[in-house]
Amino acid sequence: MTADRSAQADALLGPLQRERGGQLKVFLGAAPGVGKTYSMLSAARELRRQSVDAVVGLVETHGRVETQALVDGLELLPRKTIDYKGRELTELDLDALLARKPRVAIIDELAHTNAPGSRHERRYQDIEELLNAGIDVYTTVNIQHIESLNDVVRQITGVRVTETVPDAFLDRARDIVLVDLPPRELIERLQQGKVYMGEQAAAALQAFFSASNLTALRDLAVQLVADRVDADMREHMAARGVGAVPVRRRVIAAIDGFEHSEYLVRVTRKIAERRQAPWAVVFVDNGQVAGDRQRMVEESFALARRLGGETVQLRGLSVVDELLAHASRNTVSTIVIGRTRERPFARIFNRTLTQQLLHKGAHFELTIISTPYARARARRALEQSDEPNAGIKGELIYASIVAVLTTGLAAIADYFLSLQDLSLIFITGVLFVAVRTRMAVAVYAATLCFLAYNFFFIEPRFTLYISAGRGVVTVAAFLVVALICSRLANRLRSQVLMLRAANTHAATLQRLGQQLSAAADETQVFRAATQALRETLAADVVLLVAQEGTRRLTEVARDPARATLDVQATAAADWSLAHQQLAGRTTDTLQGSAWWCVPMIVGEQPLGVVCLRFAEGVNRLRPELSTLAQAMVQDLAQALARTRMVTQLEAARVQAETDLLRAALLSSVSHDLRSPLSAIIGSAESLSVYTDKLSEDDKRALAEGILSEGQRLDRYIQNLLDMTKLGHGTLDLQRQWSGFDEIAGSALARLRKLYPAVPVDMHLSPMLPLLNVHPALIEQALFNILENAAKFSPEGAAVSLRAVVFEGRLRIDIIDRGPGIPEGERKQIFDMFYSVQRGDRGAQGTGLGLTICQGMIGAHGGSVEALATETGRGTTIRITLPISEPPPPQQDA
Amino acid sequence: MTLADAFKILVIDDEVQIRRFLGISLRAQGYEVAEAGSGRDGLDLLATRGADLVILDLGLPDMDGQQVLKELRTWSSLPVIVLSVRSNENEKVAALDAGANDYVTKPFGVQELSARLRGLLKRSPEGEPTPAFDDGHLRIDIARRQVARDGEPLTLSRKEWALLALLMQHTGRVLTQPQLLRELWGPTHQHDTHYLRILVAKLRTKLGDDAAAPRYIRTEAGVGLRFIGNEF
Repeated sequence: MTADRSAQADALLGPLQRERGGQLKVFLGAAPGVGKTYSMLSAARELRRQSVDAVVGLVETHGRVETQALVDGLELLPRKTIDYKGRELTELDLDALLARKPRVAIIDELAHTNAPGSRHERRYQDIEELLNAGIDVYTTVNIQHIESLNDVVRQITGVRVTETVPDAFLDRARDIVLVDLPPRELIERLQQGKVYMGEQAAAALQAFFSASNLTALRDLAVQLVADRVDADMREHMAARGVGAVPVRRRVIAAIDGFEHSEYLVRVTRKIAERRQAPWAVVFVDNGQVAGDRQRMVEESFALARRLGGETVQLRGLSVVDELLAHASRNTVSTIVIGRTRERPFARIFNRTLTQQLLHKGAHFELTIISTPYARARARRALEQSDEPNAGIKGELIYASIVAVLTTGLAAIADYFLSLQDLSLIFITGVLFVAVRTRMAVAVYAATLCFLAYNFFFIEPRFTLYISAGRGVVTVAAFLVVALICSRLANRLRSQVLMLRAANTHAATLQRLGQQLSAAADETQVFRAATQALRETLAADVVLLVAQEGTRRLTEVARDPARATLDVQATAAADWSLAHQQLAGRTTDTLQGSAWWCVPMIVGEQPLGVVCLRFAEGVNRLRPELSTLAQAMVQDLAQALARTRMVTQLEAARVQAETDLLRAALLSSVSHDLRSPLSAIIGSAESLSVYTDKLSEDDKRALAEGILSEGQRLDRYIQNLLDMTKLGHGTLDLQRQWSGFDEIAGSALARLRKLYPAVPVDMHLSPMLPLLNVHPALIEQALFNILENAAKFSPEGAAVSLRAVVFEGRLRIDIIDRGPGIPEGERKQIFDMFYSVQRGDRGAQGTGLGLTICQGMIGAHGGSVEALATETGRGTTIRITLPISEPPPPQQDA
Repeated sequence: MTLADAFKILVIDDEVQIRRFLGISLRAQGYEVAEAGSGRDGLDLLATRGADLVILDLGLPDMDGQQVLKELRTWSSLPVIVLSVRSNENEKVAALDAGANDYVTKPFGVQELSARLRGLLKRSPEGEPTPAFDDGHLRIDIARRQVARDGEPLTLSRKEWALLALLMQHTGRVLTQPQLLRELWGPTHQHDTHYLRILVAKLRTKLGDDAAAPRYIRTEAGVGLRFIGNEF
C-alpha cells in the first residue's frame, strides 16, 4: 500500500522534474554516419520556420555538403578557441550561449570530451548547465557512448569506447529520437566515403563497421528507445492513476572487490532496468579487505552511482548474514552475485558464498552471473587438462603427499601389524597415485614408497640396506602395481577424453550443419562458417573461393577483420587449391606461412580454400582438432556447392519460364493478329471473286467487316506496343487534371462504335474529384475492360459503369452479365501468362487487354481486381485510383 | 452449282466477322448457311436443325473445338472441316484423328475452302471408293488393281498399292501419318513415320510424281498425305 502510493508519487514527480529547467532532446544513432546531425539540423530548421529562437551552439559537419547546407541560414554561435600545448582547439562557447539564452540550443556530439582547461571536463556537463539555465537543448549521441551499454558494445565490437555518457543524464531527455539507417545502406555510405572517420585509425573503424556489428548496435539502439517508450507509457498511466503500479522490489548486487565487480554492476543495472526496479550495489566489509580490492569496490560504487544505482556498504563478520539481513530490510527480490572463485580448500572445508546463499536465502531470487573472467578461467582450466605436459607438477606433489601420508599411516600401523602387512599399505598408496596420474608419476610414487618402506620399516631401520632377494621382489611388486594400474587408468582416461572430444566435435558439427542448412545464399554460408570456425578453433579465419571454372582465389570472408593473408599464405592457399591438399603451417608444404590452408573439395572439384591462423606458438595441431577443422571445412564446401546448385537451378527455372512465356506470347500474338486478318482476307476475296453474285448489302457488309477488323488489328497492335512500353518501364506518364466523366465518355464513345447493340448503364456519383492522371492511358484501360465486358455480355444485357469515391480513392466498377469468371481464376485474368495460355479459347482476342489495363492503372498507383457480382451472374471489374490533392485554384489572369 | 442446291452448312465460330463473310460468300455460292457462336449452340443447332457439313473453329469460348468434334462424332458422321489459327501440326493431327475430314488454317482463301467443301460434299456419304483416276498421263483402276503411266503398266508392291488405294479412296482429304501407319503396318507402328516416308518416296518415283511440286500425292508437312486428284 505504502509502496504503491510512493510509486505513484514517483510517477507524478518524474515528469515534473523533467518539466523544470530546459528540455533535452537526444538524436540517437547506432553508429556514426546514420544521419543524426542531419536529422537534428532538419529539426532545428523546422523550429526556425516556426519562429522558435534556435541557435546552433556547435555542429560538426565533417565537410559534408548536405549537412553544411542545413547549417546555412541558422544562427551559428562562434566557437571558443582554447590554446592547449601550442595547439588551437575550438570548443563550445558555453558562456556566450548562456548569455545569448536562446529557446533552443543545438549542440552536436553529446559524448565529446572538452579540451583541458574548459569549465567542464565533458560536454554533457555543459549541456546540463544549459538545461539548468532553462534552455532547451537538441543534441546527438551514438549508442556506444552510453555508459550502461559500454560492456555490451565492447563485447560486440571489440572496441572499448572511453567517452561515455551517464545513463542518469540520458534519463533527463524529454525525447529520444532514433535516427535509423539499415546497416547495408550505412556500409554503402561508408564505402562511398560519406562517413566521417575521425582521427582514429581508419582500419580499426572499418572493423567496427562490419554488418554484424552494425546490426547488433542497431538492435541495441532500438531496444533502448523501445524501453523508453515503455517507461513513458507507464509513467503517463501512473500519473493519471490508471493501471496497476506494481510494488517495486529492489535488485541488489553483492560485490567482493575482485576484478569482475564492475561487470556485475553493469549487468545488475540492466536486469533492474528491464524490471523497472530500483537497484543497489552492496559490499560487506568483513575487515579482510584492503588495497586493490578496496579500490575496486570504490570504483564499482562510483560506476553504480553514475548508472543511477544506490551503493551500500555493510560491516559484519559473515558476508552472507549481513547480505541477507539487508535484503530482508529493503524489500529486495533479487540478489545478483558473480561466480565466486573456487579455492580448493574453501570447497572442502567451507561452503562457497553461492552455496551459503542458496542454503540460507531461499526466499530470494538468486542470479549468478558468469563473468568474462570466470569464463576465461574455465577455458584456461579446460585447455590445461588437454595439454599433455600440463599439471605434471601437481601430480608430482600429489604423489609425494600420498607417499608421506602412507608412510605416516604405516608408522601408526607398525604397532599392531606385521612388516608384510605394512607393504600392503604402501601398495594401496601406490595404487591411489597410479589410477590418478600418468605412468612416470606412478613410477615415481612406487619408488618413493619403496624407499620409505625400506628406510623406515625394514630392518635394519633407518638405512637403505636390504637383502637382495627380498628387496627385488618388493620393488618389483610396487613397480608392477604402479605400471599396470597406471596404464589401465590412463587408457580409461584417454577413452573418456576422446569420447568427450568426439561429443564436442559432433555437437559442433551438428550446430554448424544446422546453420549452414539454414543459410539461403553464399554470403550467409560464408558468414556462418567463418563464425563457427573462429569460435570453435579459436583461430583467425580467411575464406577464399575459386571463381567458377578457374583456379583464381578471391577472398569472400574474414574474421576478425584485421586478419590478412601475407604472400606466403597466398602461395600456400594456391598450392592447396591446385593439389587439393593441406598446406602452410603444421604441414610439410610452405610451412613458413603463419596460416594453415584447408582446401574445400566437393567431388573432384576444388571450390576454395579456408585459411586458419592459430595463436602464436601453436606449431602442432592436436589430431582431433585438425580432424574437426577439416570436417567443418568439408561441411562448408558441401553447403557452398548446395547453394550454388540452388542458384543454378533457380536460374534455369527462370530461363525455362521465360522461354515458356515467350512461346505462349508468340502463339497469342499470332492468334490475335490472325483472327482479324482471316476476316479481312476472306471478306476481300469474297468481294473480288463473287462480286457479281453479291447483293449491294452483302458487299457493304463485307467492306464494313474489312474496315472494323482492320481497326481491331490496329487496336491490338497499339496494345502490344503499350505492353512493350510497360514491360520496359518506359511508359511516360503525362499527368493532367482530368474529369473522370470526360474519360468515361470518350471510352464509351469508342465502345459504342464497336458494339452498338450493347447498352451501357452509367452511374457517376455527382461531385467526382478531378484526377491527376495520364488521360489517354486511363481511357485505354477503361476501354479494354468495357470492351471485354461487352464481348461477354449476352444480347441485350447492359454493361454497367459506376464510379464513386470510397475511402479517399476513386472506385470504378464495370459490371457485365456474362458467364462470369470462376473464383479461382479471378486473380489470374490479369496475369499475362494466364491470358496467353488461354490462347484462342477466349472470345475474340481477349489477349493481353486486361494485363495491359493492370499495367496502366498500376503505373498510376491504382489497382484492378475482378470480383463476383452481387447477383452471382457476370463479373465486376473494379478499378481503384488514388485521388491527389486538388489542383491549385486558377488565378484570374 | 446444282450440287449446292440442297446443301446446308453450319458454321461454328466465335468471330462475328468470320461468320459474316463466310455466310455471305457461301450463300453467294448457293449454299444454305446456319451460324453458331459457341460450341454448345453449334451442337444444339446441329441436333435440332441438321446440316450437311460443319465448318468448326477450334478456338471457342465455351468449349474446345476438339471437344465439340468428339461429341459430334458420337452420333453423326457428317463431314467436318476444322478451322484453326493454330499452326501447330499436333492440333491438326488430333482433330483429323478425332474424326475431322479436313482442316483449313486461318487466314485462308475462300476459294480454297470452297474446293474442300465441294470435295467433301460430292463424296458423302463417305466410305465409297473412288473407282478410277485418269488425267491423260496416269491411269489408275482400283477395282482391277491396275496402274499405267503413259500407257505403260506399273508394277507396285503390296504396300505401295495399299497406300495408293487408301489415298485414292479419300481423294482430296488429308490422311494423317498415324492413320496411314495404322492402316498399313498396324497399331504398333503408329510412330514409325520413316516407314511411310520411304514408301511414299518409292511410290512417287513410280508414278512420276515430284515431292517438291506434287501432281498426285501432296505431303502436308507434319500432318499427313493427300491424294490431289483432278480437282485440286
